[in-house]
Amino acid sequence: MSTPQNRIRPMYVKLALPPSNEFIALTLTLLLTSCNLEKEVEIQLPSHNSVPVVECYLEPGKPFTLLLTRTSSYFTPFPQDELEFLSSILEDSAQVIISTNGIEYELENTLGINPLTSKVFNYYNPTPVPHDAEYEFALSIRLKNGQTIYSQTRLLPPVPIDSIVVQFNADSLARVLTYFTDPDTAGNYYRRMLHLSSIDSLPLQDFVSTDQFLDNNIGIFGTTYQFEVGDTLINTLFHIEKAYADFLQSIEEATHANGNPFSQPSTIISNLQGDARAIGIFTGLSYDRVITIISP
Amino acid sequence: MLRFLFAVLWLGCNLVHGWNQNNGQVTVSGTIRDADTGETLIGTTIYALELGLGTTSNEYGFYALNLPLDTDSVTLEFSYVGYQTVRRRIVPQTDLNLNIELGTGINLQEVVVKSNSSEEQLRTTDMSVENISAHQVKVIPALLGESDIIKTLQLKPGIPSGSEGSTGIYVRGGGTDQNLIVLDEAIVYNANHLFGFFSTFNTDAVKDLKLYKGGFPAQYGGRLSSVIDIRMKEGNNKKFSGTGGIGLISSRLTIEGPISGPHTSFILSGRRTYADLITQRINQANKNRENFTPIPDYYFYDLNAKVNHTFNNKNRLYLSGYFGRDVFQFNGEFFDFSFDWGNTTGTLRWNHVFSPRLFTNTTFTASNYQYNIRNKVTGFSFNIGSKIQDISLKTDFYHTPNNDHILRYGGVAIIHRFEVGRLKAGSDDGEISFSSGQQFTATELGAYIMDEWTVNSSLTLQAGLRLSGFINDSTTYTGIEPRLSAKYSLTDHLSLKASYARMRQYLHLVSSSGIALPTDVWYPSTRNVKPQISDQIAAGWHMKLSNNWWIKNEYYYKWLYNQVDFIDGAQLFANDRIEEEFAFGNGYAYGMELSVEKKEGKLTGWIGYTLAFVRKGNFRGIKRDIMDGRYFAPRYDRRHDLSIVSIYQLSHRLTLTATAVYGSGDLAWLPTGRLVFQDVYGEQFEPIVPYFEDRNNFRLPYFFRLDLGVVIKFSPKWGKSNLTINVFNATDRRNAFFIYLEPIFRKTTSPDGQLIQVPERIAAKQVSLFPILPAITWNFKF
Repeated sequence: MSTPQNRIRPMYVKLALPPSNEFIALTLTLLLTSCNLEKEVEIQLPSHNSVPVVECYLEPGKPFTLLLTRTSSYFTPFPQDELEFLSSILEDSAQVIISTNGIEYELENTLGINPLTSKVFNYYNPTPVPHDAEYEFALSIRLKNGQTIYSQTRLLPPVPIDSIVVQFNADSLARVLTYFTDPDTAGNYYRRMLHLSSIDSLPLQDFVSTDQFLDNNIGIFGTTYQFEVGDTLINTLFHIEKAYADFLQSIEEATHANGNPFSQPSTIISNLQGDARAIGIFTGLSYDRVITIISP
Repeated sequence: MLRFLFAVLWLGCNLVHGWNQNNGQVTVSGTIRDADTGETLIGTTIYALELGLGTTSNEYGFYALNLPLDTDSVTLEFSYVGYQTVRRRIVPQTDLNLNIELGTGINLQEVVVKSNSSEEQLRTTDMSVENISAHQVKVIPALLGESDIIKTLQLKPGIPSGSEGSTGIYVRGGGTDQNLIVLDEAIVYNANHLFGFFSTFNTDAVKDLKLYKGGFPAQYGGRLSSVIDIRMKEGNNKKFSGTGGIGLISSRLTIEGPISGPHTSFILSGRRTYADLITQRINQANKNRENFTPIPDYYFYDLNAKVNHTFNNKNRLYLSGYFGRDVFQFNGEFFDFSFDWGNTTGTLRWNHVFSPRLFTNTTFTASNYQYNIRNKVTGFSFNIGSKIQDISLKTDFYHTPNNDHILRYGGVAIIHRFEVGRLKAGSDDGEISFSSGQQFTATELGAYIMDEWTVNSSLTLQAGLRLSGFINDSTTYTGIEPRLSAKYSLTDHLSLKASYARMRQYLHLVSSSGIALPTDVWYPSTRNVKPQISDQIAAGWHMKLSNNWWIKNEYYYKWLYNQVDFIDGAQLFANDRIEEEFAFGNGYAYGMELSVEKKEGKLTGWIGYTLAFVRKGNFRGIKRDIMDGRYFAPRYDRRHDLSIVSIYQLSHRLTLTATAVYGSGDLAWLPTGRLVFQDVYGEQFEPIVPYFEDRNNFRLPYFFRLDLGVVIKFSPKWGKSNLTINVFNATDRRNAFFIYLEPIFRKTTSPDGQLIQVPERIAAKQVSLFPILPAITWNFKF
């Protein structure tokens, strides 16, 4: 079985840069490093105004959870201890309310971890997120200094995976083709994730795409011939908002740009408003998931 | 638009008819050539000594001087820097065709500097113009010994380079896409090899280069910031000859000569790098070694060819072409990657002399730039590319009705074809496939008229008007571009100059980074993407201190409108709605340029200094704005730029050269903060996501480089040769190419006993491109 290190990105990928640019950057960095043309320097960065960071994903049937942290100056030292590190970035004592269909759900400031996803949250309400896709969800946060953060989102209907086709080559390696039907409405965005064995692992594939290249509403994701009999594949197709797609791409570009002179950095593109000038994302998670065990 | 074009041509015909009447004058006209090679000489001074009348030869070597009828005999003096002056005594009774050949002379042959720019610029309204000679380009120390005409230009004031080693130029606050580069009148869309480290122009094939930074004559249009007009040699029509060189990374060869007599000549020039021949051997020798990673193959080559035929004194035809490619290949067990890009241009040019006072040049050009990326990965293939193709027809009239007026008028029509972001991808069995891309066909038109009016012996005005237009589908743009220049001679050695020029640009470069890349694609003006516009005023003085020293000092202010930039998070790749990623704003730039130049003698060279400011802002996009509309400095906002170039001829055989370059650091966009991003599942935890705030918020350290060189000449029986030895970055200073911030991790054990890495601190790393680099090149001429 191939490992995540030798996986490839299939063609239906949304890249921040053309592959050539990434290739050039990699080659250049290797060359320059080998020629000893890199050295550590002391620099003074412009002053940083710390802002709140929100991550809140609404998953129907699951409790309301939200992670509220703050940005740090880039050179801020990292605490030695993991808990100390967490407490240095967590933004506590805020009033967090999510409302939908006239009902307000206040999230309590408590540190927890989702055992399934291994994700930390510091605001929580055990009430399951309603399934009703028609209602808008509104987020309202008042920080302890009185500043506010607002956002709205809507649960999109999941787009089902139509079929999973497994094909073998002469070396008995399998590839997986994932078919879905794009709804007639234009401007749909998808996040496709493919995990091996467990979703609590690095995905083999993770990318965002739009429906603008689909000619006949039939969408297809593919892999290379890389799987062996017995592999368990977890195929997840998220139907996401454009705001979430933009946010994910800006995170990717910000991460890639540091160290790559051929890349254009990006600010974090958020769907948050309010005088706290917070960054982050408040969005619903609507997805279809199919688990496939590769068999001959 | 078409009506204006016809009006200009109608006006031309009337002017021909009306102003061609004798009016008590006769016209002496002809072509000035180099006596050794037959190459036409641009900018030769022609002066009637007894009458105090003068003119200069145009870019085709043609001149026309009107003299009073039945004057006593007149002495005409033909002079050009580096050539022996020729005098001819004539009696002006009828129109006279007088072709002149200027020789360098035996003693001057080794120090010839084939440029007449300073003398010409003192007398004419031309300002904000830079010339360089092939001689200067060849002796100035160069990266890896590859002499480069564009990099030599970057040593002139007001033409700062981009990042270190790059051939990108940023003229008076403009971007690299705002330079019009024409080779024999055909547009070159990407003048770079090896990701911008070398330009596409083979010095051996170039005859003349002129760069306008402002005060643009009306015949030029289509870009905001500069015009780089490059003319290829025509080919020696006296004898068969050749030049060439063997360097560390490339070799080149140029042959030229007459074809069946002096009326037809040709030149053929080629250059190729050969690093790939070495890397292929290394890969072959190590192919069976375990864990050996093959070295990618890379090479580039250029081919220039030109043939011309002189039918008679009134008709001459030229056919020239350029073809260049960069090829990058990388193959492995699971992939097959190739990436090629390059330009192709072709020019068919007809010079016709209607009358001694009316010269025309009609040019048909074709130009193509394209890149292709192909990759095959175990059952899948990708094919990505873009292309721009032009064909154009252009005609220019050069009209000298009398000595007080030189008129130029003409028109151009260009058809552009664009393929933007062509993408084809899929599995080899066709099970999976998709494609994207946009195609456009657009027409760009221009018509102009310009008069250089010698008001009196001190004052000369050049007034021009250009009407330009652009038609893309149902969208049409037209605009008037006034041009005005003035020269006032305070003394024979001191001129004051001023100019104003409006420029319009209908094509825009889609670039995903601050560095010029072959994958940058050109995009036309559309309903949403409006033409870029600039207004520039400039004023300055030019002074001749003695026979050898010149001072030029200019000040400029430029307003920029409808500038195109890209919003944060722009998706420029495989996007059929790319216009949604654009934002449109304004800008301004101002500065001062000073140059002190010594043109002749054992020591030649110049000192150039630029003080510059540029800001852009108010960018509003369809999706979002840039920095809430606030103004910011582009990466290339370089405050100070100083170049010192010296060429010292120690003896007949030995020439020493040195260049020193200092510049304020360019700007970089660095993150000021960081955030933690968990994402939705599993191990996709990013503890350090850079948080970028205002654009270009950090200035890199200052830049300094000293290059040294020596040229040793030899005189073998078969011709001439020299050995050029140079040391690039002689002080081994590590200039910053870019800076990035890297987390330093420490290893520790997690509560469940696993060995993990946790971030400890952030380190700033500076990456440089070039250490000290010696190079040696052998050049020859036969």
